[in-house]
Amino acid sequence: MLGPALRGVCATIAFALIIVPIAIVVVTAFSPLDYFEFPPRSLSLRWFVEFFRLENMRSAFALSLELAVLAATLSSVLGTMGALFLVRQRGFMAGVLQSLFLAPLVFPTIILGVALLLLYKTIGMPVFAGLVVAHCVIGLPYAFRTVLASAQALDPALEEAGQSLGAGPLRTLFVITLPLVWQGVVSGWLFAFIVSFGELNAALFLTGPGLTTLPIEIFSYLQFQGGQLVIAAASALQVGLIIVMVAAIERIVGIGRIIRAR
Amino acid sequence: MKGAWAWMLAIPPLAIALLFFVGPLLHLFWVSLHTSSQSELYGAALTLQNYGAVLTDSFYLGIIRRTLGVAALILAISLLIGYPVAYFVALQPPRRRMIVLLLLLFPLMVSNVVRAYGWVAILGRRGVLNSGLRSFGLIDAPLDLLYSTEAVVIGLMTILLPYMVISIANTLSSLDPRYEEAAQALGAGPVRTFVHVTLPLSTPGVASGMLLVFLLSLSAYVTITLLGGPRSKLLVSMVYDSVTAFQWPRAAALAFILLALALVVTALILAVLRPRRVQGMGR
Repeated sequence: MLGPALRGVCATIAFALIIVPIAIVVVTAFSPLDYFEFPPRSLSLRWFVEFFRLENMRSAFALSLELAVLAATLSSVLGTMGALFLVRQRGFMAGVLQSLFLAPLVFPTIILGVALLLLYKTIGMPVFAGLVVAHCVIGLPYAFRTVLASAQALDPALEEAGQSLGAGPLRTLFVITLPLVWQGVVSGWLFAFIVSFGELNAALFLTGPGLTTLPIEIFSYLQFQGGQLVIAAASALQVGLIIVMVAAIERIVGIGRIIRAR
Repeated sequence: MKGAWAWMLAIPPLAIALLFFVGPLLHLFWVSLHTSSQSELYGAALTLQNYGAVLTDSFYLGIIRRTLGVAALILAISLLIGYPVAYFVALQPPRRRMIVLLLLLFPLMVSNVVRAYGWVAILGRRGVLNSGLRSFGLIDAPLDLLYSTEAVVIGLMTILLPYMVISIANTLSSLDPRYEEAAQALGAGPVRTFVHVTLPLSTPGVASGMLLVFLLSLSAYVTITLLGGPRSKLLVSMVYDSVTAFQWPRAAALAFILLALALVVTALILAVLRPRRVQGMGR
């Protein structure tokens, strides 16, 4: 059943359908022309130059970077706390908390975006702070899950040894537990960064005039001035940054870990 | 770490989850039960009219039907393509499997707006497909492929396909090969072994893949807008349009109808596939 020929054909089709659209965008970013032509006749960097010349593109890129760094940091601090708490807890409450921390992973984020916009309108939240909080909530499950996986592999005897040798709970946390789960914390941070950097559904509602993230800026260009190839350059930069992050995860914790964390 | 000290660790993430996830959703639900207002975000009187108006309006019912139809089509195609691909991935030697899984994981990290842009570049009037067909002389005028429900299905299906493949491949590669060997030793052919042993044992992966694909397809506003255009709107587009028209109670009601659809279909998938029975839990 499902003979090798069928499997091979399906895999080839699937990989083409998944990879080709991204590859076309990246190649188009190097086009020297004013309009879309694929494949481009020659290569140039003019659209990347244009990207950094345009004030709105530059500021959207900077905002997305700041937002991703802040949100990922918050997510990994909170996710680490939640994971270190839950790894030693059993019972009903622990189950409820774990589902709560993981819920934003599958919850329709567009509904979360609407709900947060309503809250922010009610309490008068500043736009940037609102975006950071939203991306922190969305990134939390990624950080939580990777740290939990690391903490579950931890031998509780090590913490007990620290405490029996007279270290207080805080000292045990910083001297023993955190150094042992740091790979999980770092890969959780990188995951939360990547999620925030490409996030659309919450940012759609929460960005304001003059304060836009790169994906939302690409979206509005596509909607209203789709012919402009500068968005291909913006997209290629997005893809490039993710390649750098994945390489960083490979260097720090090894690729096997990312796949198991999924 | 025990007792009060341990709870100190739990309080900050719990507070954020309650204040900025659970709380706003309850508030949104509360708003969906109110009349609309010209000056305020929502009116003072309680009503079920927001739900009633949507669920009796043939326009909205048509949108809901189209939303479910598109989701069902995406689920069916991604399962049909995804299962053999997952089988292919699971049979690779460990090192190769890792590389293939990474190739599947990487596109999921790229923003959906970039991936939808790729499909616009392929399906558009001056896109790769139309110019390719023209240069081969197969068509005279460009075909209108974009801004259709079909474009939404193709685009969303390929964007979400890696979730299906990764979920099923993870289950298949953790299966004990002795089950299949036992079936074959007992005289089952490859087809019977697959239908009665491998397929049932892989239901946890199938179920989680289907849930991820379905739930993420519901809220993919940007992909739906870029590929479907104004004529192929789905329920999520209605939520967005109501928010931008400042019709808060209507937007809230539509959001919770979307959520209800998500929960009903989730329950349905779990009831049909019963993934927990494979893990020795439940019947």
